[in-house]
Amino acid sequence: MTDDIILEARSIFKQYPGVTALDKIHFRVHRNAVNVLIGENGAGKSTLMRILAGVESPDAGELLIEGRPITLRSPREATAHGIAIVHQELSIFPNLDLSENIFAGRELTHHALIDRPTEDSRTTSALDRLGKPMAATTQASTLSLGRRQLVELARILAHGAKLLILDEPTSALSLTEADTLFRVLSELKSSGLTIIYISHRLHELLHLGDHFTVLRNGRIVGEAPRTNVTRTWIVERMSGGPQTEALAPTSTPTPLLTVTNLTITPQDDNEITLTNLTFNLYKGEILGIYGLLGSGRTELLEALAGARRFTGTITLNNHPIHLTSTTAAVKHGIALVPEDRQRDGLIPELSIRENIALGSMQGFFINRTDQHQRTQQLARDLNIAAPNLDRPITTLSGGNQQKALLARCLMRNPTILLLDEPTRGVDAGAKLEIYNILRTLAAKGLAILFTSSEIEETQALATRALVLCQGRIATTLTPPHITDEALFTAASPNISPPSSPSSEAVL
Amino acid sequence: MTTPTTLSGRALLLLLKLRAVLMLLILLAIFSALSPTFFTANNLSILAKHVSISALLATGMTLVVLTGGIDLSVGSIAGLSGIVAGLLINGLTLGGSTHYPPIPVVILAALLTGALAGAANGLLIARFSVAPFITTLGMLYIARGTALLLSNGHTFPNLAGSQAHHNTGFPALGQSFLLGIPTPVWIALIIAAIAALVAARTPFGRHIYAVGGNERAARLAGIHIARVKLLTYILSGLCAALVGLIIASQLESAHPATGESFELNAIAAVVLGGTSLMGGRGSIGGSLIGALVIGVLADGLVMLGVSEFWQIVIKGVVIVLAVTVDQLQSRVQFRFLNALFRPKQEAAQ
Repeated sequence: MTDDIILEARSIFKQYPGVTALDKIHFRVHRNAVNVLIGENGAGKSTLMRILAGVESPDAGELLIEGRPITLRSPREATAHGIAIVHQELSIFPNLDLSENIFAGRELTHHALIDRPTEDSRTTSALDRLGKPMAATTQASTLSLGRRQLVELARILAHGAKLLILDEPTSALSLTEADTLFRVLSELKSSGLTIIYISHRLHELLHLGDHFTVLRNGRIVGEAPRTNVTRTWIVERMSGGPQTEALAPTSTPTPLLTVTNLTITPQDDNEITLTNLTFNLYKGEILGIYGLLGSGRTELLEALAGARRFTGTITLNNHPIHLTSTTAAVKHGIALVPEDRQRDGLIPELSIRENIALGSMQGFFINRTDQHQRTQQLARDLNIAAPNLDRPITTLSGGNQQKALLARCLMRNPTILLLDEPTRGVDAGAKLEIYNILRTLAAKGLAILFTSSEIEETQALATRALVLCQGRIATTLTPPHITDEALFTAASPNISPPSSPSSEAVL
Repeated sequence: MTTPTTLSGRALLLLLKLRAVLMLLILLAIFSALSPTFFTANNLSILAKHVSISALLATGMTLVVLTGGIDLSVGSIAGLSGIVAGLLINGLTLGGSTHYPPIPVVILAALLTGALAGAANGLLIARFSVAPFITTLGMLYIARGTALLLSNGHTFPNLAGSQAHHNTGFPALGQSFLLGIPTPVWIALIIAAIAALVAARTPFGRHIYAVGGNERAARLAGIHIARVKLLTYILSGLCAALVGLIIASQLESAHPATGESFELNAIAAVVLGGTSLMGGRGSIGGSLIGALVIGVLADGLVMLGVSEFWQIVIKGVVIVLAVTVDQLQSRVQFRFLNALFRPKQEAAQ
């Protein structure tokens, strides 16, 4: 049985400031099989994969390949051991063409110069094998997300690898592209490759997987071969218990915010188009926007926060408003908690208190006493676990940092709260706490609009859910109907139209 | 950016890409029309010498800028290298006796100075993640200060050397001609050609573009980012040292203030040539054109007798305009070409 294990991770422990990402994990990878890794966002899947790919080192624990202990200090060393990874965030060089992308770091040379003809022919054959012939000289920046992913796969095919790690490979793919991928994966498996596959989509996991491992909060909570795995088995282990009850809708008939024909036309090739989005937001409701990567959920929120140009009409209490800048949005009582709190939210140099108070200071001088009282009150209301608000914001855990950002928005007494992935990188306990806070806020009359890529979150939190697919509203669902299947089906593109017609049609 | 399929579309794209060349041709047309002496052999020779200086610096600078960095220290490094050459030709006193190293040794020592200064830049930037702007700003002062210290603030005169010390011949580097073309022009052309080949056709060159395009992805692809960056700064330092040598050779003296504000000319040439300061996009060829534009502009304005102060203003305007066009390019190009080609594509589908 041990011969069957190509790679083993023993007692892997990894900690980041404020959060234990992996808590003494034992993970075994079965040879010549599709090893599925499942878990919610923040469960530690990506961290584990980055360790296997040599991008990060564990704080403790050891890795064994073919039973021999190894250390992976860099991606290069992982590659030398035959481990290749396709990252969740694509690692494409937009400024280079396909051959250059595929052979980056592994150029073929002839008399010290790059052997372009050989590179090109290998590129072409790798792309052909993926069923998506593209010219080797195509600039990567002109490709859709889905095609960029295929290029990454082609990179691995061109170099040969024993162990292929795919981190949410289908999150940006259309169904036909995903089908192509599944076909390629089974072909690769039969040619002797071992695959580690991470995804949220249960149906494709059940379709593809041979061995299943479930992660929750940095621990492995289930491990079984395909024959012993059912949908319920996965869901129970992922969520760690019964699903949270969603509140009954408390919406009132007159909409607070009306969005009519909101359209975003891309300004450059990396943007996503939104087409004629029309919906209402009611006082006291929690409207969830569910969609896959690239569906336009972030863009919609940014438009409503005044951070992105769009056409269409927005009315607030039946008065048309112009959301031409973030300042305008704030003036109208719209506040946004951004998706990436490290990049777009927190100021790491400032204290918790200063981070909360940021943006709601008015007049020339800061009224310290007033600020002190209000931040203290909010920290108490939101249960921010800190002995002292004057400590650096970086001393807080992910969940508490998120609550601090929420507090910042609430300082301005908004009427509409926008949240982009409200619990990304937050542990399960804090997650439930944030859900409860949002429900309390909604009950007090705040209108909440949030986006999520997690089915469980949309189900747990939303009193109504809009599903976005490729920049359009696919459907609107209300609680008894917000099922896994309904969300999946509506969010998955049925046809495979290119994400940006102009850049694709010529390929 | 889409690749247009029609002939007119391609022609349009080519025109956009070649706008620096266009600018150069327009400038040449204007100056030759307004000044009868512009297209004389004498003037062109002077022009070529000036351009070869900024072209050399721009060549090294392009490599650095392609990685997403910047090198503000090239002017000072040029000054320091010239001083090192001046010091050695005028005799190095060690332990009571004075040594006069032969010219090849002098040149090597000056080049080594440039390479070391570049290596110091590169190490700080690549190994210790100090911002390139800050690191090379520091080196700008360090190299200039060192040049002043070595020369005690004075000029080293008489770099022609003497027969007695067997160190004559240094002036040939900057003053001689080969096939009727000044040697510095040959040097600049050869260095630029090598750099262009390296950038376009070698793994190292491709790694430069990869690091500038997406540093994270480059790391994941196993590219030695630190090594790539270090090498580009060393090469930039070497180009600067060559410039220092050429100028000292042309003047037959080494002045510690040589090369002041040269870095700005080099950056301007790089930017005019279409290289993005964000890294990952641009070419050596473009920077050569950029250096020519700046050189022709300066030379032409002198020929026309435009006031020296106006020359500075005009140069600034040209740089800012060129970069503005560059920034607008991708957006404008995308929209414009979309508008042009979308209907046809939809019809084809």
